[in-house]
Parts: sequence; structure tokens; C-alpha cells
Amino acid sequence: MARRYDSSTTTFSPEGRLHQVEYAIEAINNAGTCVGILAKDGIVMASERRITSGLLAPAKTSEKTYKLCDHAACNVAGLTADANILIDQARIYAARNHYVYQDPIPVEQLVEHVCNYKQAYTQYGGLRPFGVAFLFAGYDIHHGFQLYQSDPSGNYSGWKATVIGSNNQAGKSLLKTEYKEEAPSVQEALMLAVKVLNKTMDGTAASVEKMELFRMTLDEDGNCQHHILTAEEAKDVIDSVAAEASSSGDS
Amino acid sequence: MSILEYNGAAMIAMAGKNCVGIAADRRLGMQAQTVSTNFQKVFPMGDKLYVGLAGLASDVQTLHQLLEYRLSLYELNEERKMSPQVFSTLLSNVLYSKRFGPYFIEPIVAGLDKDNKPVLSGSDLIGASVSTDDFVVSGTCTGNLFGMCETLYKPDMDPDQLFETLAQALLASVDRDALSGWGGVVHIITPTGVMTKELKGRQD
Repeated sequence: MARRYDSSTTTFSPEGRLHQVEYAIEAINNAGTCVGILAKDGIVMASERRITSGLLAPAKTSEKTYKLCDHAACNVAGLTADANILIDQARIYAARNHYVYQDPIPVEQLVEHVCNYKQAYTQYGGLRPFGVAFLFAGYDIHHGFQLYQSDPSGNYSGWKATVIGSNNQAGKSLLKTEYKEEAPSVQEALMLAVKVLNKTMDGTAASVEKMELFRMTLDEDGNCQHHILTAEEAKDVIDSVAAEASSSGDS
Repeated sequence: MSILEYNGAAMIAMAGKNCVGIAADRRLGMQAQTVSTNFQKVFPMGDKLYVGLAGLASDVQTLHQLLEYRLSLYELNEERKMSPQVFSTLLSNVLYSKRFGPYFIEPIVAGLDKDNKPVLSGSDLIGASVSTDDFVVSGTCTGNLFGMCETLYKPDMDPDQLFETLAQALLASVDRDALSGWGGVVHIITPTGVMTKELKGRQD
């Protein structure tokens, strides 16, 4: 019955739904999981690396984590090609804002700009929506560290911890029980993120090649530091999570 | 009155052995009147890349901000630092893009490339650039600056000798120019870091 109303992005169905937007969200639920956690002194984002072929030569440092400006970064779930367009948009907008005001762009403004751009593809032009969901991590002096999630509809919300991509419901339910009222430290958040990925990737063993861990913190001068964990650092976190799991199993 | 001489400036960039130095005066004037004695005209664009902007002060500040904008986008997309030669080309293109309504700036670029070899270049206000291996000058007393540099320069100076040469060349040149002077600043860029010193000169 919905068939008649799903080909055009810009038309509501009789039930008041935008089917193309919903189908775009479906595309993301098949993509590699990304989890974001707000810590006391930083933000952690972890993502599942889907290695489609051993012959692939990576062009960039990461196909999941992207730096947008000095104080903001994002994780991508969905169509990488679509994501590249939006990331370019975000980078130019943040840089231009800095040029005009000589001040770092407030994180929410950057997120809202990207989302407004996505929303236009659900209302004008008859073009399909972007098949991407983002986790934005950023810091500004107005609101400190912030974590936002956005989807193809152009909607966004701020989170203390959230999951996007495949099995995100399982990830979110784990976060609901494990994320304490009092925010974790960055190290605890990294471990929690690995635990979540272990759950969403269930069946496949956790390993350094399959996970990418990212953290954003401030250095002593108050500057944002973006860091994708090296293979060794990631292995340490994965090992400590495994150790904790096995020791708690014993008791 | 030429717009390029409205605010006043004097700057030199010079190469040494595995190091470069860039020096500029500190004066900001409005023709005869001196308005500031600590106006910045030399800007770090990376840890081994400095640009000196001589000319109209408003354009000095705007162009600096514009170059930072272009540089940060480049580094985000390319995931690497911009080399001095590429920066010099970018600067040329930015200036030429305003061919029929130019920025009133005559910039100089000084840096060390990835092999820590000195890179020097200078350009006119519409982007015609030259690359040299000894020194480049710019400002309202280029005649004086060229004379001093030609006399005092010798190749393969070490950082300390380079500092002395730059300082003496700059100070002597600005003393015969009403529009530049009121102090100076010298940056010596070496593979291990940048040494910055303020110069004490005639405050007139």
C-alpha cells in the first residue's frame, strides 16, 4: 500500500510518513556500528571496521572517523560516498565561520548546519536523501564536551551515550544499564565502548583490525586533541575488557 | 601617496645553513602618524613555515586570516602539512584571483621543506612570485633593505650568524625610512624549532 507514496522523497504518505527517509535509515542499519560515549574529561567514539577485502588499500587514515575542525570530529555510519559530501560541507562551514568570526564555531551550530543541508533533500528537488548517520563529537567553551547524533531526516539530538549502525538497539540497551549517572573517565568510556561493540558484533571475536577507537580530550593548554588509538593502545583496551569479562565470569 | 605606503613596513627573509630567518619591523602608521609600535606582520603558518605580509594593514590581517582558512581546509582534506612551495603557490593564486581589485600586500614566504632545506619566495601584489636561495625583501624601504642584504649576506650562515645579519640589515635599513621601524622581531627557523627575538632599535 505504501508503494504509491515511496518513490518521491518529498511526498508524505497518507499515514504521514516520508518513506524514502525511512528507507535511508534502513540502509544505515546495515552499516558498521558506531558508538559514542561522553566522558567526564572527553569523548570516546568507537566503530566497527568492515573489511570487505584484504586487497583494499586505504586512501585515508580512517573511513569511519573524520576531523571536521580543531574542536570537532565525527563518526560515519552508512554510505561513505554520501558522507564525504556532508563532511566537506561541514569542514568548509566550520572553517568559514572561523574566518569570519575568528572564533571556533559552537558545536551545535555546526551540527545544525549539516542537518539543515540533509533536511533540504527531504523537502525539495526530488533528490534522494543522504544515506548517512553521524555521531558528532566536539568541544566548545559554551557547553564543554558534546555528543550529537544525526540521521538522514536532518533530525539531531544530544546524547550522553548512543549507538548507530547495525545492532544499535542491542548496543543502546547495554548502555542503558552500564552508563552510570556520574560520567565515566575517558579510559572507562573506552572500555565501555569496546564492550558495546563486542555485543553488537556478536559472533565475531573482538580484535584490533575490526575496531577503531577514537578519543577527544583537552591538553594542558585547553586545546582539543583528536586521537585515533594505535594498534597497541587499542589492543590494551580490548584485552582489559576481555580480562574483566573473564574475571567477573569466575565470581 | 601610494596605498602600499600608507601604513609602512620593512621585512627580510634570509637563508642560512639548514635554517631560514624572517624579520620585520613593528610600526603601524597612518601616513606620518604612528599608531602602534607592536603591530604583527610576520605570521607562523606551520611550525616550519612563516609568511611576512607587507603593505596595507587591513589587508595584512585579512590575508593572514584567509590564508589560515585555506591552510586548515588543505590539512583536513590532505591529512598532511602544507609544504612551503605549495603555500607560496597558494598565496600567488589568492593574490591573482583579485587581479583587478588586488590585496595591497607584497608578501614574503620563508620555510624549511621536508628535507629541512631553506625555501624562500617573494611576490608582488598580484601574485608574480620569485624563488631565491639567498634573501627576499619587502616593504617601504626595499632599496635600503636590498643594499644592506647584498652587503651583509654570505651563504651557509649558522642560526646565530643569521640572526645577527638579519637584525643588522633590518635596523640599518629602517633608520633611513620614516615609515618603518619602531622596533623589530626576528624568527630563526631550524629543524629543531623556532627562535624568536625582539629587536631594540631607534624608537622614531
